[in-house]
Amino acid sequence: MIWQEKRVLLGILGVLLLANVVFFLTYRVQYQSRIDEMEERRAQAEGQLDRTKRQRADAEMSLAAYRKVERDVQLVYDETWSTQPKRLTAMIAEVKRLAVASNAIPRTLSFGKSEAKDLAGTRRSKSVGAREVSIGFSVTATYEQVRRMINLFELSNQFVIIDEINLAEADPTKLTLNLRIKTLFREERTTAGGAGL
Amino acid sequence: MKPIHLNLAARPYRDYRPVYAVVVVLSLLTAFLMLNNVDTYLRYVHETKSTRAEIAQIEEQTRVETRKEQEAKGRLKGLDLAHLDAQTRFINAKLAERAFSWSRLLDELESILANDVRLLSVGPRFTDEGDIQLTLNFQSKSANGMMTTINRMNAHPQFKEAFPTTESQDDTGIFSFDLAVTYLPEQGVAR
Repeated sequence: MIWQEKRVLLGILGVLLLANVVFFLTYRVQYQSRIDEMEERRAQAEGQLDRTKRQRADAEMSLAAYRKVERDVQLVYDETWSTQPKRLTAMIAEVKRLAVASNAIPRTLSFGKSEAKDLAGTRRSKSVGAREVSIGFSVTATYEQVRRMINLFELSNQFVIIDEINLAEADPTKLTLNLRIKTLFREERTTAGGAGL
Repeated sequence: MKPIHLNLAARPYRDYRPVYAVVVVLSLLTAFLMLNNVDTYLRYVHETKSTRAEIAQIEEQTRVETRKEQEAKGRLKGLDLAHLDAQTRFINAKLAERAFSWSRLLDELESILANDVRLLSVGPRFTDEGDIQLTLNFQSKSANGMMTTINRMNAHPQFKEAFPTTESQDDTGIFSFDLAVTYLPEQGVAR
């Protein structure tokens, strides 16, 4: 009877006690686990940040690598190969100069040109923005003169590729050398990687 | 004489002491727990303040990094990688052709040719794998010229897989033969 008379007071006290017990059990008893949980969250956030940084660095490195390759390619196209109007006569003059230097002067020079394709061949051949120009000639010379001429072409500052060599006996001391050399010129519209210059 | 028990109370007597005892105990217990809980909460907030600030800072940095990564990837998507790759492979192939030493090749061929065999023509072909395939045309005064040349090439570390294409003999008795062989100039350098 006396408990029923004070039930409101007892009820309020009971609720307050229960709430404090619940709070105590969840915060105080699991205090360390909550601190650990917060540290774990920080570690996860740091891990995520590291991953994102790596991905960003990879993407930027890829971009930088592309730019570097693009510059290198453009350097070869612009400086080494240049365009036909700028370098063709210099190339022909070099061939004649080296022939004179090796004492084997050709009477005839034949010229040819074709558009250069990439290595994929005919299946998906695609223009790489360069054209091949070949120069063929025939000289009669001793074997030593032939070797000297070949060596001079290899050492030339011009971008000269010896494409093919044919030898035939002209007389007991001399050979007829058919030599085909080639070079490359950048096409006027070429830009590396399709990017503007 | 019988004593008289006077009851002058206005209402019946009730003993509330147990109730008050419980109320006091509950109140003390609640007060103790409440103080403890408030202390715990304040300590938790204080101790995790720097950690929460760090987490917020890290998450902000992550957002910045993600934005930069997306920007870089966006720029990469706009580039013609296939075209640049084709140009790079093409240039590398041409540089390899340019670097090819005919003088060294002729030296090597001189070292393996028999006295009765002479070279008429040579043409290289640069493969995608980086090998150099040579097509060679020879003349020989003897019938064994082709076999001798193949055997000598097989014994030489810079020539591999020598294989004949044709052999013929003309009216004067001179033999002509063609060979295809893989040339490995790099091995000669490393040797």
